[in-house]
Amino acid sequence: MAENEIAIEVRDVTKSFKVYLDKGAQLKERLLFRKRSKYEERKVLRGISFDVKKGEAIGLIGHNGCGKSTTLKLLTRIMYPDSGTIKLKGRVSSLIELGAGFHPDMSGRENIYTNAAIFGLTKKEIDARLDDIIEFSELADFIDNPVRTYSSGMYMRLAFSVAINVDADILLIDEILAVGDANFQAKCFNKLREIKAQGTTIVIVSHSLGQIEQICDRSIWIHEGLIKAEGPPKEIDLEYLDYMSRKRQELMKAAEAGSEKEETDENEQGKRWGSGQARIKRVRSFSADGTEQSAFRIGEDIKLVVDYTVKKPVDDAVFGVGVFDLNGIQCYGTNTRIDKVPDFVIDKDGTVEILLKKVMLLGGTYNLDIAIEQGEGIPVDYYRQAHKIEMISAEGDAGVFRIEHTWDFQR
Amino acid sequence: MSTIKELYDYRQMIFSLVKKDLRGRYKGSVLGFLWTFINPLFQLIVYTIVFSKILRNDVPRYYLYLFVALIPWIFFSSSITVGAASIISQKDLVKKIYFPRMVIPISYVTSCFVNMLLCFIVIFAVIIVTGAGINFVAVLTLPIIMIVEYIFALGMAMLSSAVTVYFRDLEHILGIVSMAWMYLTPIVYSKSIVPEKYLPIFNLNPMTPIIECYRTVLYDKQIPDLSTLLIAAALGVFFLIFGALVFNKLQKHFAEEL
Repeated sequence: MAENEIAIEVRDVTKSFKVYLDKGAQLKERLLFRKRSKYEERKVLRGISFDVKKGEAIGLIGHNGCGKSTTLKLLTRIMYPDSGTIKLKGRVSSLIELGAGFHPDMSGRENIYTNAAIFGLTKKEIDARLDDIIEFSELADFIDNPVRTYSSGMYMRLAFSVAINVDADILLIDEILAVGDANFQAKCFNKLREIKAQGTTIVIVSHSLGQIEQICDRSIWIHEGLIKAEGPPKEIDLEYLDYMSRKRQELMKAAEAGSEKEETDENEQGKRWGSGQARIKRVRSFSADGTEQSAFRIGEDIKLVVDYTVKKPVDDAVFGVGVFDLNGIQCYGTNTRIDKVPDFVIDKDGTVEILLKKVMLLGGTYNLDIAIEQGEGIPVDYYRQAHKIEMISAEGDAGVFRIEHTWDFQR
Repeated sequence: MSTIKELYDYRQMIFSLVKKDLRGRYKGSVLGFLWTFINPLFQLIVYTIVFSKILRNDVPRYYLYLFVALIPWIFFSSSITVGAASIISQKDLVKKIYFPRMVIPISYVTSCFVNMLLCFIVIFAVIIVTGAGINFVAVLTLPIIMIVEYIFALGMAMLSSAVTVYFRDLEHILGIVSMAWMYLTPIVYSKSIVPEKYLPIFNLNPMTPIIECYRTVLYDKQIPDLSTLLIAAALGVFFLIFGALVFNKLQKHFAEEL
């Protein structure tokens, strides 16, 4: 059965790096300071095994330093495992270092030959692919100019075109598709799909879970040198996101704990104004199930809890909230007057909860402004960037927020 | 065996690296490719002045006597000394992309070899211009001598390039070694003036018969006794296999060491 043929077989692979504390590479140093060349062994992979079937696409995910890039380097045979075996069937091409061996003084055409030769192509094979490569790169007009005259986008386009036209049986990709403009990215993506349909096995390492979900049949989550989970990307990616969100939460808390004191007065200048009759004491965000967190997945409910203190009663009080992206664009804003909340007076310290339902903001960091005003917009305490939330989205849709939608073709 | 097949698959890469090396070596210098010839010519002039005018010897046409030995020697010595740094100088490639690592020493030695071939054009020009004369039958044995030298040089380059990755001093040590080696090989003098008791050592040096053969063909205009090359050829093959084995073992950690 050709369908179930194994293209990549990884068995119990371990890898550690020696981190030299003080390395002497010279004879003198080796002899004189033999004891000094101490090193720490850092185990990056602690025994991972997986198979990839021919024509399958898998995504390796995990946080920085988890060992996914090392795994990919082992697959490309740039490095070798300390123990365990890796078997690959067929020609391997990698989109890890695009443009390896490019010579700036040589023309685009000559560089195609040099670069493709590094992938193990013979002159004849390159001749046969030359037109495809040039066409795909969209650089026909510049192909005889030296590569140093290219813009970085053109450079990457040429490099990508070579790598993807190698006709490899196994394609290894590390954080791609940051290549060129949106059009070219889409083209690369389509090409990848096409290649996959032709039966090429693909392994992708990426932080962009959206890309993985679009191409891969399976995700493998590597955590601290071990496979933590594997399965359909949609499930594994969510599990991974969940974990990351919890982790980030902890980090943010730690950072907050460290900086709480300084934040009181000086840092607030220019970020905070108003009469001061009442003051916002603290802003927290909670998930629907009541755990305090500041990273949320798209579509989740977010509960904002605002504690305030009152020095002098404020009658005709208005509470407001504004959501801004990092470019300072307001994504949403409202207040109790707009929402026609009956007039009220705040005369003692209290807490207000704002429940934001199904927040459809796309992935990224957002600043929240919280304000207490009086009457027709007299600021009592306007607090810019009072809180920060992180949105996580695995899909590739673009914009500020998601519009729920369906596609329906009338044929 | 699979290594050889893989190297064959990567032949285009070897070609293109050789081409790049030959074209890129003198890029930006005014005289450009001419340096390939100027360098050995100046060495030749210096040695000729020192050894035939100052130290005096009775070898007729000493410049030619020296020239036909010097050019093959330069090929060999640059293969091992500059070749030692060849992996390090390609570290960007080695760290980032897979290809059989042997491609690097092979293409470096090959580009030195091509350089030597080009210099042979100059040798023949000198022979013709000075009317020294050529024995065409003897010249037909030249390729055999060259191949033996190439094999030996390649084996040594594999050893030196792989070990230098781990032990950078080797590059400089080899500079000294190659100078000593040159004077221990009959290049500026003839083997016949070597005292008898030292001869066994000289015969162990594979470069001795190789250089002698070049000289027999081009200077003495005689068909060399190729059997003297047998030991050199055997040693060459030995070093090539040994070099390749060591290289294969050491190359696994290149990416981490560089």
